[in-house]
Amino acid sequence: DLEEKILQYGGRHERKIRVFCRIRPVNRAEAAQGGAVVVEKIDEYSVTLETPRGPREFQFDKVFSAEASQEDLFHDTSLIQLAIDGYNVCIFAYGQTGSGKTFTMVGDKEQKNPGIIPRSFNAIFDIMQENSCKFNFKVSAYMLELYNDRLQDLFASQAGEAHAHTQSRGQARRVEIKRNRKGVVFAQGAETKEASSAQELYALFQQACANRHISATMNVESSRSHLIVGIMVESRNLTNGSVSAGKLSLVDLAGSERAAKTGAKDHQLKLQEANSINKSLSALGDVISALSAELPHVPYRNSKLTQYATRVKAITNNAQRNVESKEIAQLKEVIMKLRSGQAVEEEDV
Amino acid sequence: MASFNSNEWRAICDKFTNAQNLTETESRKDPENDPFRSKYKARDLLREIYCSLKSFEAGEGEEDSSGESGDQRPTEEPVDGQREDVFGQGFSGDSPAGLRAARLGAVEYYLGVNHVDTEELSAGQEHLMNCMKLLERCRVSSQNVSLFIHVRNQLGILWAGRDETETAQGFLETAESIYQRYMKEDGSPPTDMTEYFTTEENLLTHQERTKRFELAYTHTMYYLAQVYKNLGQTERAATYCHTTLQRQLQLNQFTPMEWALNAATLSQYYITKGRYMEGRHCLSAATVISDLAGEVPSEAAAQESEAESERREHLRQKRAEIARCWIKYCLNLLQDARKQLEDNIGELDTDRQDELKMARRREEEEEEKGRKSALLFGSEDTFDSIASIEEKVMCLFPLDFTEARSVFLVGQNYVTQAKDFFQMDGYVTDHIEILQDHSALFRALAFFEEDMERRCKMHKRRVDMLETICNDLNAQYYLLIRRQLMFELAETYNEMMDLKLTLANRQADTQSLDNHTIKKFNHLCSASAKYFQMFLDSLCSPEGKYPEHLEEEVLRPALVARFRVARLHSRFISSSPTVQLDNLNKSLENYKYVVQYCEAHPEAEAAVETELELSKEMVGLLPLKINRLKARMASNN
Repeated sequence: DLEEKILQYGGRHERKIRVFCRIRPVNRAEAAQGGAVVVEKIDEYSVTLETPRGPREFQFDKVFSAEASQEDLFHDTSLIQLAIDGYNVCIFAYGQTGSGKTFTMVGDKEQKNPGIIPRSFNAIFDIMQENSCKFNFKVSAYMLELYNDRLQDLFASQAGEAHAHTQSRGQARRVEIKRNRKGVVFAQGAETKEASSAQELYALFQQACANRHISATMNVESSRSHLIVGIMVESRNLTNGSVSAGKLSLVDLAGSERAAKTGAKDHQLKLQEANSINKSLSALGDVISALSAELPHVPYRNSKLTQYATRVKAITNNAQRNVESKEIAQLKEVIMKLRSGQAVEEEDV
Repeated sequence: MASFNSNEWRAICDKFTNAQNLTETESRKDPENDPFRSKYKARDLLREIYCSLKSFEAGEGEEDSSGESGDQRPTEEPVDGQREDVFGQGFSGDSPAGLRAARLGAVEYYLGVNHVDTEELSAGQEHLMNCMKLLERCRVSSQNVSLFIHVRNQLGILWAGRDETETAQGFLETAESIYQRYMKEDGSPPTDMTEYFTTEENLLTHQERTKRFELAYTHTMYYLAQVYKNLGQTERAATYCHTTLQRQLQLNQFTPMEWALNAATLSQYYITKGRYMEGRHCLSAATVISDLAGEVPSEAAAQESEAESERREHLRQKRAEIARCWIKYCLNLLQDARKQLEDNIGELDTDRQDELKMARRREEEEEEKGRKSALLFGSEDTFDSIASIEEKVMCLFPLDFTEARSVFLVGQNYVTQAKDFFQMDGYVTDHIEILQDHSALFRALAFFEEDMERRCKMHKRRVDMLETICNDLNAQYYLLIRRQLMFELAETYNEMMDLKLTLANRQADTQSLDNHTIKKFNHLCSASAKYFQMFLDSLCSPEGKYPEHLEEEVLRPALVARFRVARLHSRFISSSPTVQLDNLNKSLENYKYVVQYCEAHPEAEAAVETELELSKEMVGLLPLKINRLKARMASNN
């Protein structure tokens, strides 16, 4: 659905979300099993997918075949200049575990095939270098992990992490997402670190990755948490002193197959309390808040991400229906007067 | 218990304790790739216990039932709800046979739960039904009533999980009636299931038995609340939620802040039903209980430690949330009172006011009785504190200014509390919602204020509160909120404009107004039109075009806004004919828009019936007026 979405694309008028599709090449295990390839690139904008119900076609803003290189991809997603120009740019990688999101965003471990994130780092500093006579730049970054509904600062120090693997990650600081009245989203509580070179930025990134939750199941490259990297570029025009700030957000989402595994069906009663002597019946709050769809106020209970889910409220509560308002009564009088030919020369009161 | 030799018995008891330990404690440490390891072990132990008991029973022979009614009950599947006579027929629960049945039943019960926990639902069901069958043969007694209830709770959960809500309901409702009848006819602290396999020394105290038994019944209430909600019987569900909350307090089985939030949320439900007495009670209890969550750590303490800082945040936030629920209480009470009192043009109807005041005298006596029968929260320590908070605000409709003002002040106090936490920086949308509520409180109060001047001042407060923010907010991100604010500001200015006029006309009986008043009037008129126009502009595309088709959420407000802009333009006072003409043309333009839009979108007519009708009239009549004006202008030249 290609509606005009007013996004963080600043002043541009074609404010679309662009969706690219990248097809992963068959890996060794799959090749050995000799399965069929079900996805095929038709042209630059479409792919076809073999489904149990026959072939289906999908449209994208751009399609990258299995042969496309990391370089190809980065070239086409080069929004770095925009971020430096002062806009907010965001790149998400979405897909099932094993589909190649991390490869696309980060690259391989040895960095023989760096992905979008390291390439972006280089690009930022390259562009800055080219413009160093006209602008002064400052680059800073924050890196967050969203895991089990908690946002954690990946720059937090690792001191005292003896039980890091079995328990929750100890001293990692909680981060809250806020948006101030100007609409700027910021991560409150997250440490921001400055970097003066692509190498430094990459080192910060490596440090952050090391602090992530690594889940041993399915895929070693953590498949359960979302990685959020925010790079802020502040540039000061040396000629006229104007300052602009742009942000590049790079997100490696957790495996999308998780999304389907939502909580218990609505009708299922909440079990756990039955078998333990538990003081609180935690689902009671859910039952109560569901008693009516029109509760005047529901005390905040849920995850951080739902905070910014738009709670669209009807404006119609202000445009009353049933009471014949004064306005209408007055107007009716006026109409009567006008109709009866009474010349209402002066103000219509 | 008597006939096993003590070693054998001890062995059985140990096994049982082990099984419990495995199920409850060890299982939490099971690794992710083998999550049921401990529970499988527990299962084996339980099976062994079962076999031991069974083999013992076989040896026991026929020494049971002779003195009792040895009815062989037909082994029909006990579909629950038909077993009201559990109190009537069968072995005495206290007899050896009864005890044996209970013990076996308990093992079946634990096996059933074990299977359910390990996601083997049909096996679980089988065991639980076996338990039921065993109990079938017994009468309810203090030895087994706990089991009677627990097994039905579990079966309720199981069937609900299969979306067979009515079946679940059957089991749970039976559990409920068994409990009630037991408490009426007996009431002594019943044996807890774990006690079937304990040695003498380890039997529980009466207190502990009661506690566990009551907890089981609290769960029954809790599950029934969910079942009724799933069946769409929301009123009953609400009652059961209320009962659950009540029991949690009475039995001291609650976490303060969580309880408080639940009570506060329940109050909101009561408010939607206009049950203000219950709502007030819930909120007062919420306030009292939230205090039990402890002192808010000071700022200094919060600086020192992460944990203290989080705790401070948490407590302050939850209390602020409760404050917001209170605000809604006061606001809705005032608004509902208004609905009772207003006439057809939205003004206070003094006749109705008198009527209601008289009716109320009767109601006050009812209130006292009502309270006693209604479900009260609390325990000895809290009854009083809850009552003292209730006394601060009324729960009947305020019928005059003094009463309205008292409710308003309570609401305003909570606004201050809520804003203290939900500050603009960090909680933009929450902060604004609170301001909107504050504005709405003023609006509600203004209805009761007879003095026009003071009324106007109240509206001015609203404008002051909202105007800066409306203009301050980022237009892109806060589009929806800004629209609400614009609409509200437009209407408020409109109100003020009318009030100024009423004041002026009252002060001077003549038609003509002095310049000062005209200026003031026009200012308010333009301001109102400006905000309606801003609202309309916010619907436009980035290129400035109005949408061809209005979305449902904005349909009525958009057309109403047009209608009001049209009206406002025609009310602007000017001695200059050019200005008058310009305004009339703008007015006509906007009335036309309404008519034309509804012609192009007939489905929209229903949303703005009256406004459309009047717009059509005006579209017919205004051109005549415009022409007369033009003629006058021409002749004057």
